[in-house]
Amino acid sequence: MFVQPKREKEIKPSQERQQRNTSLQQLGPKNILPLGYKCPRWPIFSPYSFSLKTPRSTLEQSRRDSRVRQTGERRDDDAMEAPQSSLRSALVFSFIAIAYLSLLVRSATLSSPELQILNAERRIDLTSHIIRVYLTLKVENTGAAPASEIFLAFPPAQVDHLAIVKAAATFGKKKKKSYLPLDVNPTDLPDAPNGAKCFSISLVSPLKTGESVTLEVLYILSHSLEPFPIEISQSESQLVYYHDSAIILSPYHIKHQTTFIKTSSPKVESFTRVEPSDRVGTELKYGPYEDRHSYSFSPIIVHFENNNPFAVVEELVREVEISHWGSLQVTERYKLVHAGARHKGVFSRLEYQHRPQFSGVSSFKHLLATLPPKVHSVYYRDEIGNISSSHLRTNSKKSELEIEPRYPLFGGWKATFVIGYGLPLQDFLFESPDGRRYLNFSFGCPLAETVVDKLTIKVVLPEGSKNPSAVVPFAVDQRIETSFSYLDVVGRTVVVLEKENVVPEHNSPFQVYYNFNPIFMVAEPLMLASVFFFFFIACVTYLHMDISIRK
Amino acid sequence: MQVVLGTLLASLVPVVGFNAVMTSEHFASFLVFIVIHVVALAYYIKGILSPKMFKVAVTLVLAVGLVVCSAVIAVLIAMVASSPTKGWSGRSLSLLDPTYASKYIPIIASVSEHQPPTWPSYFMDINVLAFLVPAGIIACFLPLSDASSFMVLYIVTSVYFSGVMVRLMLVLAPAACIMSGIALSEAFDVFTRSIKCQLPGVSQNSQIDVGDSTSGSVVTQDEVVKTDKTEDSLKERPSKKNKKKERERERENVEKASIKTPIQKRLLVLPLESSVIALLLLVLLGAFYVVHCVWAAAEAYSAPSIVLTSRSHDGLHVFDDFREAYAWLSHNTEVDDKVASWWDYGYQTTAMANRTVIVDNNTWNNTHIATVGTAMSSPEKAAWEIFQSLDVKYVLVVFGGVVGYPSDDINKFLWMVRIGGGVFPHIKEPDYLRDGQYRIDSQATPTMLNCLMYKLSYYRFVETDGKGFDRVRGTEIGKKHFKLTHFEEVFTTHHWMVRIFKLKPPKNRIRGKTKKSKSKASSTTSSKRSGKSPWQ
Repeated sequence: MFVQPKREKEIKPSQERQQRNTSLQQLGPKNILPLGYKCPRWPIFSPYSFSLKTPRSTLEQSRRDSRVRQTGERRDDDAMEAPQSSLRSALVFSFIAIAYLSLLVRSATLSSPELQILNAERRIDLTSHIIRVYLTLKVENTGAAPASEIFLAFPPAQVDHLAIVKAAATFGKKKKKSYLPLDVNPTDLPDAPNGAKCFSISLVSPLKTGESVTLEVLYILSHSLEPFPIEISQSESQLVYYHDSAIILSPYHIKHQTTFIKTSSPKVESFTRVEPSDRVGTELKYGPYEDRHSYSFSPIIVHFENNNPFAVVEELVREVEISHWGSLQVTERYKLVHAGARHKGVFSRLEYQHRPQFSGVSSFKHLLATLPPKVHSVYYRDEIGNISSSHLRTNSKKSELEIEPRYPLFGGWKATFVIGYGLPLQDFLFESPDGRRYLNFSFGCPLAETVVDKLTIKVVLPEGSKNPSAVVPFAVDQRIETSFSYLDVVGRTVVVLEKENVVPEHNSPFQVYYNFNPIFMVAEPLMLASVFFFFFIACVTYLHMDISIRK
Repeated sequence: MQVVLGTLLASLVPVVGFNAVMTSEHFASFLVFIVIHVVALAYYIKGILSPKMFKVAVTLVLAVGLVVCSAVIAVLIAMVASSPTKGWSGRSLSLLDPTYASKYIPIIASVSEHQPPTWPSYFMDINVLAFLVPAGIIACFLPLSDASSFMVLYIVTSVYFSGVMVRLMLVLAPAACIMSGIALSEAFDVFTRSIKCQLPGVSQNSQIDVGDSTSGSVVTQDEVVKTDKTEDSLKERPSKKNKKKERERERENVEKASIKTPIQKRLLVLPLESSVIALLLLVLLGAFYVVHCVWAAAEAYSAPSIVLTSRSHDGLHVFDDFREAYAWLSHNTEVDDKVASWWDYGYQTTAMANRTVIVDNNTWNNTHIATVGTAMSSPEKAAWEIFQSLDVKYVLVVFGGVVGYPSDDINKFLWMVRIGGGVFPHIKEPDYLRDGQYRIDSQATPTMLNCLMYKLSYYRFVETDGKGFDRVRGTEIGKKHFKLTHFEEVFTTHHWMVRIFKLKPPKNRIRGKTKKSKSKASSTTSSKRSGKSPWQ
């Protein structure tokens, strides 16, 4: 099975070595470590060992990551970190033996189910800069105890860029397929090697012995396409690297698996071959691979052309101000950047205008924001005034605001702008059965196909509202602030929601509940009226009073 | 008191400072201020002293005061005489002598606001007032009182000042308003009176009405007095309408009217129809003037000069190139990069792009502006050295040749040459002119075709249409295909109106030439330190 990777282009020596390592790894249960490192042998505890590495991992990382694991059994393997002396290894051995025994005792009560994946199909969509991975898993319970949780594993390089993980169970046959969304939560599997992070999918009903279930998993990665070359000139197109594994990383044994990678253009400079692998047009196919053990990993690199706009909003602050007089005012402050390969050297407007198909192909100048219907008083401006290049199309379903930054954005160029609009209150503010009011608004960024590095949503509640609480379908940081506007006395409660790494799939509604007494609506007008009233009263009394001493 | 308060407030402005009391322009107003107070004091003392004592005091004060005054005046004259311009600043000197600025300080003459206005600009700004002002002046002379003579003086001086500089149109505006107001009110006076006289029923009724009201008698008396007084003037008044025919008719009317009442006899009356029509026309004139004012305020004075618009058959087209360039600068350059451009764009760059500029619209430092002017009019290498010595990273030029924006840097270029040449004499204006003509086509001088401004403006311009036709100058450019050696284009706006170039980093020295260039470099640095320009 040892196959020297066929190279379409020259691969750097370090990559080559790693690829050889990984292919060696597939030969058998050996712990493969970088050169110059002595590999300790643990024949008892490591029937299947592996080295989980991203191609760029350093020696230290791989040393730290070299852990051993036995399938089916959970154990604390912290102590296994590369013992150098036999004495130490003996000590560790005895310790592990104790741990092993204790686990055996626990396993009777804790029931660690044995699962295996019968069939796995992975489709990786690399057409934009947001990577969407569709994973279809057919999981079977081969153990004795029923399983209520299924784990997904991700390499550490991907975990940092993982924006969202969604899972759904499939029921029924082809025609009458129905999906049941399932809860996905990050967990820590103690036996997860090399810093791999796990997510647990909670099944609705536990999977009994011998049964199988089909899961559809969607996960999205941002910032995972690494431009190479890092800097390009105006006439070049943008090439990016994508790093992943040819074999699905999973805590379970996978019987049969295939991976399809769809690139944005048929121009693929190079890709790592892990036989059987094939490329047709814009699609790369890895597999089918049979009988891969748990936590198998085989790093691949795809180097391909991607000229889609790498529009990244570094920081987005959305301020939603509720006025019970009937309007909802939204202000969105953007810090936009082109996160693709950096622009190098000259920018020639001539080339850009006269040869648009060859010049600045990776740049972008249009952005599309989808706003709610019935939007009014829309503005689009920046620090130095209105930006006149925008179009608004409205219909009953949605409003589309097409905006152009002041200048086309090339790699590394930045722009800041503000979009603001008003909305009718009755579409977004409702009263819940228990008398509380709640705002139902869309989370996420209105711009299409953009990643938001840091999203802050500030819901400014009217003055006098109490007990605010936010319900968001995913984990966000929440805090309460107070802001002051005109004629405010006690200040307005502001519910601040913060989330990092937001992708368009986060555009789901969230709710903010609060108590509000309508008397506060008239507080400010009454205050103003009474001030004027007392002022005039004072004037009248002054005119009618005789405060002279003379009689 | 207002003089003192105003001066104090003015001196709080950092730029003004003590200039409010130190420069010669303000002596006249202070003199008037002092004289008024001395007179007031004299009257006050006269009131509290007996006549005899007052005489003694006057002689005493006069004796002492004369000595003190002469001493002060002598000191002042000495101080004023010591300064080269007699304490007058360049701008005010060019008011007194309109040719002064262009002779000595080109930077003042280069500002478009400092140019003498043209007739169309008068008509644009004050419109019908331009015709009403002479009528107002005549009206002021008819009964020449103190007030009206002040008005005449006011309008004459303000007309002179506005004739020297366009920006002093502001001074003319209030004077013109007052004068035309006088003219209009006199005209209305004449027309309404003549109407009143010819409607006997109305006039009688009105007289009865007036009599009924409390102040009516006074008014009629006033009228009588006025008419008596200004009998001659009333005869003259229609003359300002410049209508001889009307005057003849009016005499006939006078004869007719003289039959009716003794008061009306004295009035010069216009025929009813013509006066009604004239009244209507006057009202119409005023209405159109309002329309014009609104239009002028909207188009000429409210439209920002950095966002340009043009109307075409498919609607309004916006040229927002300036802000495009400034936004690009502010987001895509380092915070402490310095931008060199002609000083017109200094404040805009500072405010909108948030970058340090070399020269700005506070044209206080003439030498600095001349340095930038010299760089712009030098060949590429010399300009690069100047900019390098100023620690400039980006050079911004405004170029209107693609869309036909006339106030671009090529059109301002002669001023850069003049101002630069004023300080650095190796820049000579005739080098840039062919037979005294400023041209950029193939007839242009080689100095012109090789200067930095030309190269930066027209860099790769020929590739836009294949010929390099400049829409502002209306010609094909002289030098079409050339490369930049010391600068590189980093940004050009959508309509090519603003072009930003970056200075290339200094080249690595070749081994053999190290010694030579070292000695050269040391000499330049030493001369830099001595404060003289290294590029001379």
